[in-house]
Amino acid sequence: MKLIPHFILALVLVFLPVLLSAEEPPPASEDYSAETSVSESADEYESEPEAESPQIADPLIPVNKAMFTVNDKLYFWVLKPVAQGYAHVPEDFRIVFGNIYDNLWAPSRMLNNLLQLRLKGAGNELLRFVLNSVVGIGGCGDVARDAFNIKKQEADFGQTLGHYGIEHGMYLVLPVFGPSSLRDGVGLVGDQLMYPLTYVGSSHLTTTQKVEIATHEKVNDTSFRVGDYESFKKSAIDPYIAMRDAFVQHRKKKVDESKQ
Amino acid sequence: MSFKEEVIKKCLIGIIITVCLIYSVPALAGVPLDTVKGHSDKVLDVLRDPALKGETAKKIKKDKLRTISEKMFDFSELSRRTLTNNWKKFSPDQQKEFISLYTSILEDAYADKILAYSDEKILFTKEVPLSERTVEVQSTVIQRSTEIPIFYRVILKDGEWRVYDVVIEGVSLISNYRTQFKDILANKPPEAVLETLRKKVGKG
Repeated sequence: MKLIPHFILALVLVFLPVLLSAEEPPPASEDYSAETSVSESADEYESEPEAESPQIADPLIPVNKAMFTVNDKLYFWVLKPVAQGYAHVPEDFRIVFGNIYDNLWAPSRMLNNLLQLRLKGAGNELLRFVLNSVVGIGGCGDVARDAFNIKKQEADFGQTLGHYGIEHGMYLVLPVFGPSSLRDGVGLVGDQLMYPLTYVGSSHLTTTQKVEIATHEKVNDTSFRVGDYESFKKSAIDPYIAMRDAFVQHRKKKVDESKQ
Repeated sequence: MSFKEEVIKKCLIGIIITVCLIYSVPALAGVPLDTVKGHSDKVLDVLRDPALKGETAKKIKKDKLRTISEKMFDFSELSRRTLTNNWKKFSPDQQKEFISLYTSILEDAYADKILAYSDEKILFTKEVPLSERTVEVQSTVIQRSTEIPIFYRVILKDGEWRVYDVVIEGVSLISNYRTQFKDILANKPPEAVLETLRKKVGKG
């Protein structure tokens, strides 16, 4: 009767998200009273004061601007043409590659969810990793999402540091990675330490091969997004400042989410 | 008709009128979401119109999108909230020119992006009130490989809900532009902003 424990394990795995979601506090009631105390005369339409964008120190602005230009050229001269050529690979295959890479990052997402005390997210990521690795054959398919509706819960180490009150420090434009900060740069290193391929010995994967894999991941990912950077640049009055501001706003939202 | 029937009839009419009055109040929950969803559906109709296929129909599509965006967005509110305190530094004529230049930059930049969409699904999930006259309508764009949260902030004016800010993955459009304009206005007059915008629009 070896089958029974497996059956129970499967049941637990299937119902775990349900059990975990039951622990989640109910969504905060939508509070109408918060800002309604200040009544405005209807015909004046005076704007309410706008919340200021979060700020970031940028003492290295000349270096950052130079790196911004380098990344810009890198995109138009290298990454974009390569990704466009690569996009001849049928979309279904590219999605499978995307799934495999995404699945490799699941342990990092799980640990960060755990560090941020988001237990439901951590449980979901654990389940997703197990289901997608086993049933999804090494992460080729996102079985967890498609069959069990267990959605990915993004979490990274920069966010975890932010969760515990660590600020950006200063703005940094990193080569290839783009907009970042002291905190999020440390975060990138932390995430790398939670990435399984980091621990694959050089007898199985040489450093060159690891770089090649990371490059393919980047190109595969970019092949879905060609055009995004172009329309960003087209819309921006000052692309450097627009990018920095978008980075700070986006990361603030991520940290705020981690505290919910 | 007996007296009793008369009273019941009057009561019923009273109730009907009261119900109509209550439900005609535009602040009724659901209206902001339905308004934004209505515009978004119209955009999708244009994108999926089989009569408008190919490069030649691109201009017709863009014109149609512009018509929808003018109804959907309140560009004057959007401009004012972008500049906030700096808005008063602009003369009325400068304000007018700012609105028109800013509008065409936004429309040009996003028309191409939107035209590239077709097989996306858009889910409108919920409304969160921000103030007495402003509401955030939350939506998710579902693509094959990703989901993008897009929140529309709408304001009630003259009984109509119109968009004054779009927040994509936590990045508010008007805050993003505010930071950029502030940088110019820190040591230059409003004319410098207009000149920058004119050049950008001229380049197409």
